[in-house]
Amino acid sequence: MTDDHGSIEELLAGHVLRSLTGADAAEADRLLTEHVPGCIECRTTLEDFRRLSGDMGLAAGPVTPPETLLPRLRGELDAGRARRRPLRYVAVAAGVAAVVGLATISVSQNIRANNADVLADSMAEAAALASRPDARMVDVGPMQELSAPGEEILYVMGNGVPMPPEGSVYRAWIVTDGTPTFVGEFLPEEGRVFLEIPFDPTVHDDLWISVEPADAPTDEPVSTERWSASDVA
Amino acid sequence: MRDGDRDDLELHRSLAAGDRGAFDALYLRYSSSAYGLAYRITGQQVLAQDVVHDAFMALWRAPEAYDPARGAFRTFFLSLVHHRAVDTVRREERIRARQDRASNLEPVTVEDPAEGVTDAADLAERRIEVRAALDTLPPEQRQVLELAYYGGRTQVQIAEEIDIPIGTVKTRTLAAMRKLRRVLARSEAPEGA
Repeated sequence: MTDDHGSIEELLAGHVLRSLTGADAAEADRLLTEHVPGCIECRTTLEDFRRLSGDMGLAAGPVTPPETLLPRLRGELDAGRARRRPLRYVAVAAGVAAVVGLATISVSQNIRANNADVLADSMAEAAALASRPDARMVDVGPMQELSAPGEEILYVMGNGVPMPPEGSVYRAWIVTDGTPTFVGEFLPEEGRVFLEIPFDPTVHDDLWISVEPADAPTDEPVSTERWSASDVA
Repeated sequence: MRDGDRDDLELHRSLAAGDRGAFDALYLRYSSSAYGLAYRITGQQVLAQDVVHDAFMALWRAPEAYDPARGAFRTFFLSLVHHRAVDTVRREERIRARQDRASNLEPVTVEDPAEGVTDAADLAERRIEVRAALDTLPPEQRQVLELAYYGGRTQVQIAEEIDIPIGTVKTRTLAAMRKLRRVLARSEAPEGA
């Protein structure tokens, strides 16, 4: 485990360049979750490296793109604007390392998982998404939602998530024009949660997580204990 | 803050409000730099075009992803292009590796470099500064940095490719980043800093 700032800086440099793999990439994710958010020095270094990474792009030199590209983009603008409320920016990769090692997950319907191989693939995809500069993480109750522009999938993850009261479960809902649709229910495994949920931001407005009686109908949430991904500043 | 950065902030605000004219203006301002970067990393026009397309669509779909407090729009957007280009290269490598194993195909050759173009004066000025900063790096540091950034290589691949220990790759990378940071920080500061 890395704990000196020289080594951390080395990993942050590799992380920004997207050149880390294996144990180094995992350690960088851990640092981005556990250390960097609370360390001014490392946050400053990370932001400086990110700006540097952007500026290095200029050195490649300009090349005129094909003339067809702008018309193609213009034609897609109408369908492309998300209706979702803006989400608050937080440190990328936060939370990803916290769920590594999770072996099983309790889900149903179209939340993907339960299979260890699928789960490992899904976590790798989440880690890749989290490393994008435009990735966003927002709190949804005791969990966090990870998403990125242009992606029709989001992740819900958490560590230290409390068990709901006996006889209750967590349920996930996707909201379209104010109407929630049941996606699935789950319980934390040793406090850990990792879910991958299809989500089209051009159609769907929000994600809710609620605590519901296990025998409650799934046509709509019946509990007032409910969190929204839009409940952020 | 540079004049171009202020203009970008205004354009970004307008784009966030759904202004297509602002989208066009940002496209005209950054498409050549973005395409040049994507082209250098992917080495193929089709892939570079897809990278730039996806980056601009991501900007349009979720403009709030850019936070002015974290720096200039320029660095955010080109960093986004870089990430997508590197991801594209890695995906193509995996596909090609599978195809090569299946049919012993020759590696895909990189297309000829395209002709450079002139872009906005402030971007050209910053480009000169970045290139000058890169020129200050010792050759062994610059080699490692460019293989990672423009070549999309992992540190493990770089170590194998130039036959040095991975620890040396890490050391040289950090030394290069530190030096560039020092040199370029003088003319770049985040909004509100």
